[in-house]
Amino acid sequence: MLLFRSEETAAKWCGAHGFPVRPLITLEQLWFLATTWYGNRLTVDSRRPAPEEMVEIFGGIGLEGAFWDPKAEQG
Amino acid sequence: MDFDTKVKLHLYETIARTTQAPSSREVAAALNATLAEVEAAFSNLHKKKLLVPEPDNPSRIRMAPPFSGIPTSFRVKVQEKNYYANCSWDALGVPAALHQDAVVEAEDGYSGEPIVLEIRNGLPVPVSCVFHFAVPAAQWWDDIIYT
Repeated sequence: MLLFRSEETAAKWCGAHGFPVRPLITLEQLWFLATTWYGNRLTVDSRRPAPEEMVEIFGGIGLEGAFWDPKAEQG
Repeated sequence: MDFDTKVKLHLYETIARTTQAPSSREVAAALNATLAEVEAAFSNLHKKKLLVPEPDNPSRIRMAPPFSGIPTSFRVKVQEKNYYANCSWDALGVPAALHQDAVVEAEDGYSGEPIVLEIRNGLPVPVSCVFHFAVPAAQWWDDIIYT
């Protein structure tokens, strides 16, 4: 994932690389994901969230739908 | 504690302390294990999506998310230490994993304009920026180095 100064530069990058513009994530949303994902990474029990947990985590900050579902059909 | 967990903890603690990912040989020496045992653990941890060995060299760590084993354009300064992260999510993941404040030096993915992100007192300092996932979650690990 990439960081952009604005929606405008994100859209320009997508156009230049042939990607559709996806929902943009805010700094606050990303900090929530970072702390949820990595807050216990240096502990014995650390692990990557399971797919069902990921859907719940994303949904909790309004990121919903097939794009955010790690088990969604591809294509 | 099983051996894979010992390797995981040693790996992450070493990166946190030194900012550098150890090689399988260094991990083997530290844990009094064989190279084959450590590289098998690397492989198991890769399957659990907790690390990514270098594609052409299983003795080296490319990614131990949020940390990068190689220099990237996401530099994270925590106190006097400088880490590299794999992407903007992981750049925030470094202070999240270390439970410390940090300054992230990054750049606009299109224009290259420098962008500084700061975690202060455990929270991000507001700054004009957005983050963009080009790849759906179901495909993130198809090519995680690209993602």
